[in-house]
Amino acid sequence: MPLIKATDIACQRGHHLLFEPVSFELSLGQSLLISGPNGIGKTTLLESIAGLRTIQQGVIHFNDIELSKNKDNWFDQSFFIGHRTGNKKELNCLENLRSFLQIQGIQISEQQAEDALQAVGLAGYEYQFAGSLSAGQKKRLALARLTLIDFPVWILDEPFVNLDVEGCDWLLGILKQHMDNNGLLIITAHDNREIQELVSHKLLLESSL
Amino acid sequence: MNPFLALVKRDLTLGLRRKSQIYQPLVFQLLVVTMFPLGLGSGAKTLALIAPAVIWILALLASLLTLDQIFKNDYDDGSVESYVLTSYPLPLSVMAKVLAHWLLTGLPLVLFSPIIAVLLHLPSSSYGVLMLSLLIGTPIFSFMGSIGSALTMSLKHGGLLLTILVMPLLTPVLIFGASAVVESSLGNSATQPLLLLSGLLVLSFTLVPFASAAAIKINLE
Repeated sequence: MPLIKATDIACQRGHHLLFEPVSFELSLGQSLLISGPNGIGKTTLLESIAGLRTIQQGVIHFNDIELSKNKDNWFDQSFFIGHRTGNKKELNCLENLRSFLQIQGIQISEQQAEDALQAVGLAGYEYQFAGSLSAGQKKRLALARLTLIDFPVWILDEPFVNLDVEGCDWLLGILKQHMDNNGLLIITAHDNREIQELVSHKLLLESSL
Repeated sequence: MNPFLALVKRDLTLGLRRKSQIYQPLVFQLLVVTMFPLGLGSGAKTLALIAPAVIWILALLASLLTLDQIFKNDYDDGSVESYVLTSYPLPLSVMAKVLAHWLLTGLPLVLFSPIIAVLLHLPSSSYGVLMLSLLIGTPIFSFMGSIGSALTMSLKHGGLLLTILVMPLLTPVLIFGASAVVESSLGNSATQPLLLLSGLLVLSFTLVPFASAAAIKINLE
């Protein structure tokens, strides 16, 4: 039985559909790469799946229950990182990492947070304000959350953007590890070839016009 | 730490680092209140007469300065997702945001009010009622403001719209708050307006978090 079953879902902007309705089924250990040209609605689709937006057409089943009726369960098992990183510029890296997860009810010790920062290559930046980080470092700070959670479903919107080669390799590593641990991944990535080989399913969004 | 406290703690840390959110309303109040004796050009009696209204209107305007900040920053940097995409109820997170906003802006207004009162020659016997009425009234500003802030968080310059949306909701607060101070300065009992004000606080405490939560969801569409 698939964990996530999407049937004919589509997103609207104004009154017209952004892309042709899509369907997919994913079980634990599988991954889905969503691609398509700019402006086709990849981010809108991901945000709808994550639960930020309502799904305007079609239906998603999670554990065989309609997602809209099973939201709490879904939020307890899925983790979304969008193109806005969610970092507060007045907080330092440690505070950012810990407060973001604590607000979601995930307890993180200072040591765990430090280890996570080390893993993403931000060792030495623990007490630096997020506002003074570069775009790539901000992205790394957001992605550091992935090493601290044990949610089976990861939904990532363009996680490779702004990362350098080393960062991309690190991210590919933990994505691979997540898949090996029987995790489920839904991702959009524009220009990364290696992710194409990693994922088990691909979905190309096509214009409905 | 539970999500509610974590959100309050984060917002207090942010507020204390930004600081302008705290002192801006107070400086604004002080500047405006010093203009009144100059503009009116009359003695202490006239000032004392208008003091209750002036203090309350100033508190209202000073609160409006910071209301749009409740959700706007979180929307802009994406951290709003941290309390929307979770099984922790959104209305409770709204309450945490409102509580933090009130501690940073409302409470200083309450504590600062005797200084404003002195400058306006309010009879010192009314200070207690003044502070009590502000203590009940300013949380209502934060609560009602959270609806406006949630509705306008995706707009670049939503300040004016927020004011237009929220002002009508806040007029009862102004009426009962100011009348409590007027009654006490005339030597009468201020119980009735204070009770009505408390009623408004209960109303906003129970209903507003749901309205704000709905407004946040609309804005994320």
